[in-house]
Amino acid sequence: MSVKAFELVPAVERDLLMGDKARINIECIECCGKHLYMGTNDCFIHHFLLDEVTSSKGKLTYSAQKLLHKYLGLKKPVAELRAASALERLIVLCDGIVFLVDMVTLETVPSAAGGGAKIRGVTAFCVNENPVNGDPFCVEMGVISSKKRTVQIYMVYEDRVQLVKEVTTPEQPCAVSVDGYFLCLALATQYMILNYNTGASQDLFPYNSEDRRPIVKRIGREEFLLAAPGGLGMFANAEGVSQRAPVNWSESVIGAAVSFPYVVALDESFITIHSMLDQQLKQTLSFRDGHILQDFEGKVILASTKAVYVLVPLPLERQIQDLLASHRVEEALILTEGAQQNIPKDKFQILHKRILQQAGFIQFGQLQFLEAKEHFRKGQLDVRELISLYPLLLPASSSFTRCHPPLHEFADLNHLAQGDQEKVLRCKKFLISYLGEVRSTEVANGCREDVDTALLKLYAEQDHDSLLDLLASDNACLLADSVPWLEKYHKYFALGLLYHYNSQDSAALQLWIRVVDGDLQDSTRSGLYEYIVDFLCSCSNPDLVWKHADWALAKDPTIGVHIFTKRPVSKDVTELNPEEAITYLGKHSQALLLFLEHLVLERKIKKEKFHTHLAVLYLERVLSLLSEAPADEERLNRARERLQALLRESNLYRAQFLLGKMENCEQLLLERATLHGKLEENDKALHILVHKLKDFSSAEAFCVWASSCRDSAYQHQLFHLLLEVYLDRSLPGKSQAAAAGGGELEMAAVDLLNRHGEVFDAVRVLRMLPEGWSLQLLRPFLGRAVRASMHAGRTAQIAVGLAQSENLQLLHDRLKDRKKPIFVSEKKGCHLCHNTFSEPDVVCLPGGAPVHTHCVAQRVRDSPTKRQLTNSSNHT
Amino acid sequence: MPEVSKMKKPDVKLVLLGDMNVGKTSLLHRYTERKFKDTVSTVGGAFFLKQWGPYNISIWDTAGREQFHGLGSMYCRGAAAVILTYDVSNWQSLAELEERFLSLTDTANHDCIYALVGNKADLTDPRAQLSQDSDEASKDRMDCGEERTETQVLSACPTPPASPVSLSGITPGKQVTPEDAMALYGRILRYKGLEEKSSLPAEKMCFETSAKTGYNVDNLFEALFDLVLPSILRNKNENQHSPTVDLEECRGAKRGRPGCC
Repeated sequence: MSVKAFELVPAVERDLLMGDKARINIECIECCGKHLYMGTNDCFIHHFLLDEVTSSKGKLTYSAQKLLHKYLGLKKPVAELRAASALERLIVLCDGIVFLVDMVTLETVPSAAGGGAKIRGVTAFCVNENPVNGDPFCVEMGVISSKKRTVQIYMVYEDRVQLVKEVTTPEQPCAVSVDGYFLCLALATQYMILNYNTGASQDLFPYNSEDRRPIVKRIGREEFLLAAPGGLGMFANAEGVSQRAPVNWSESVIGAAVSFPYVVALDESFITIHSMLDQQLKQTLSFRDGHILQDFEGKVILASTKAVYVLVPLPLERQIQDLLASHRVEEALILTEGAQQNIPKDKFQILHKRILQQAGFIQFGQLQFLEAKEHFRKGQLDVRELISLYPLLLPASSSFTRCHPPLHEFADLNHLAQGDQEKVLRCKKFLISYLGEVRSTEVANGCREDVDTALLKLYAEQDHDSLLDLLASDNACLLADSVPWLEKYHKYFALGLLYHYNSQDSAALQLWIRVVDGDLQDSTRSGLYEYIVDFLCSCSNPDLVWKHADWALAKDPTIGVHIFTKRPVSKDVTELNPEEAITYLGKHSQALLLFLEHLVLERKIKKEKFHTHLAVLYLERVLSLLSEAPADEERLNRARERLQALLRESNLYRAQFLLGKMENCEQLLLERATLHGKLEENDKALHILVHKLKDFSSAEAFCVWASSCRDSAYQHQLFHLLLEVYLDRSLPGKSQAAAAGGGELEMAAVDLLNRHGEVFDAVRVLRMLPEGWSLQLLRPFLGRAVRASMHAGRTAQIAVGLAQSENLQLLHDRLKDRKKPIFVSEKKGCHLCHNTFSEPDVVCLPGGAPVHTHCVAQRVRDSPTKRQLTNSSNHT
Repeated sequence: MPEVSKMKKPDVKLVLLGDMNVGKTSLLHRYTERKFKDTVSTVGGAFFLKQWGPYNISIWDTAGREQFHGLGSMYCRGAAAVILTYDVSNWQSLAELEERFLSLTDTANHDCIYALVGNKADLTDPRAQLSQDSDEASKDRMDCGEERTETQVLSACPTPPASPVSLSGITPGKQVTPEDAMALYGRILRYKGLEEKSSLPAEKMCFETSAKTGYNVDNLFEALFDLVLPSILRNKNENQHSPTVDLEECRGAKRGRPGCC
């Protein structure tokens, strides 16, 4: 409880009213602007002028000045007073009579000629604040008469009152309030709503008016506040429906009023103040001998029997701040939001935001992070307010200063946590998640550096995985502030990323290299060396690459060379000059080899220099392996295969040069054969293969390979050459060779013929073959040759036949499509000689005109162009 | 006097009625705040505004105490649904519904729907003892134990009629069976002069809930919201026909009255 919503300020002191006359009591009051009227039990009306005085401290006091008092002459207490300011009249109820007095002179208004200005037999009356009559110089009034069960509606004019309606009630009414056509009545045993225009009535709820004084108080358009059994304040509208939950008063409540958002009630010793928003009791003020509580134009005035007080509402903001100060967040927010209608929109928004922010900080202080976050979000908190709570998180360069007055009571996080490290940690975790969420939203607009730098610091400090994500993505971390922080927490890899993000790749690389070399300790990234290589690989600054490649290559040439071989081909990465790279790699032979392989084999760069260089390197490697004492067969074979493959596949290297290099090496015969083949010295190549290597399958393969991208004639020639080599008996040394050797060659020849019969010209082969060979030996070859020849002949015949028929078909189509029949008769004349035709043989000119054959012949002979006429036909 | 702030205008009204200590406030708490907590005896009444899709539904929690009985008919005025609540472990609470509370509903809408809700089912039905959220349940059980026993003492009630006695042997403490509730539902319809055939069936309108464990609570409220939807639509329709131009409710096209079969 204990919101301070109102302050009780004395308005008219006892002395001023009655001096030392002890028996005078205040019976009723009325306040109209600055004018305060008071009716007393000795039938006086007192008129005061009430001035508001605000002291320099902002404290409000009232000063009352007595203007007049007037005896009404009835010797009875003045029961009720109502001002009708437009008429300048006070409506007075005294001794059961309602009559009018002048507001200024307090003189009783005499009856006008047309009608009386008095109503007799009245127990209570009320003024309609929501009149149905449009006349501004007329007041509507509901009157309860003492005798009959009726309520009368009067119009009050300057000098007369006029009865306009009388409605009967089921029981004697004892209190009334009116709004529009709706009378709200307290009867002896219940409340009811009565529409005096239609007569329709609506029971509200039972109430024993004899036990407890009923209260019927209009609080707004068609809404009333009623005293209900059990000390409740019930709300009811004109339809008889309660739209607000009741408030819980005491049983002995005397008067009630609404000063939004509060319901103020008076009982014998207290003023209670409930909120209409949550029905809770908000404030209790001790007030003895309370007698009257009424609100006049928003001003709540109380009176004891001897003095008058004003219940001054404290400024809303102050009330809200009080609530917040006692950490009553929900109530503060309800009060703020409930006041929305009463505050200008822009002002409300500012207030509301601020309250939300403050509420958020209170909940933050209580470690209710979810709620706090929600309030920060709704209140659009400048996130730096929150960051600034955490020592050292805001960058030194930040221009931020906390808002004033402060949104919270905390100096910083340590103050908040009171040394509880667990608390500090939870707060930090919250900030991490909160900043992570807001950094990409508009909340971070204008302070992205601050947010990102703070986040970076927190990540680094908490060893958070997202540190790298932050740095690898778009961020606004301030370098100057982050460097010492990251160094402090040994986040060198992250720091490198930050350098890189700030285009300081050199610094990044140097840092990382120190980590890899073990000068600095940071285990964030396991394969940092590979990462550096990758980094250099896509590094757009060639100087940087040249500068650090040495280090990378020295560390591991096979991976280091990726710097050169894996460079992505794109616009942003500048191409490294391969020649330069080769020169650079001179000292790293392994890397050089890999790089050349990359250039030649992967990128397929057609440059003699690279190809020759690579071939030479391969060769050197083979030679060096050969020279090793116990030759490592496996490695040697692999090396040779590579060399051979290159020699076969590439056409760009300088074959002669390479040949020169391996001239004397009898172990590299196959390679030499390939080189000879490249030089088109096929006979030499085959000679080596057949006679030196005696590797007939390689010889055949050589023929296939060497002719692979040549025409078939070349292939024929090559195979014939091979055959010749096989069959060549003139070779020196051949005779010495064992008979088996000669037989071997012959068998190779036979195999060759039988296998590759199709590439040989059978006639030529037959001429070359030794006489002594058996037919059986060459059967597959000959069979194939004969069949092939037959096949070729027949295929040719079919082709001829097909071509002829196609030709005929086309001729037929052409005639059908292009020509109409040409009629030749004896009566028709030749277009050239104009004689008639005597025989059916004619020639058609282009256009289909028939002419004599001889005429055409004549014409063709004569024509200078000797144009031939192609279309002749013999239609009849 | 400043104009009283206009809160969101409810489209429809639900009222919780029933004897004191049957758990009306707890039901509403469980539904709106998803937890069971100590409540004090409701004074007068309280209400809660529930946003249900585009509609605002006001749920009135009334005071069960005899003292505030007179206010009941006012709360019920214009209600589209009345939730008559009793305590399954207290036969008298069901009897009170018929004796005291049924007449309060005379002011409700003519097409008002009635639901009979037996609360505190966790005391008698093992199914209802399973809490929705287990961690909360154990805590709840701890803090409400005392209150419960007190309730039991308070509800010193007459011996229940024959039929539930046999059942109470199986489930100790259970005094009201669903059949009793359904029979009462039938009598309510007769009291209202409604045909049983054309009204909502008893099986659909009788619930057993536990505000303590949350058993069936959401089910109850959401079923009722669905059922009052036609009432909401009609209210809106009527508002449109009102001669007053409502500046706050600038709703576009007219809503057709839902078809009836």
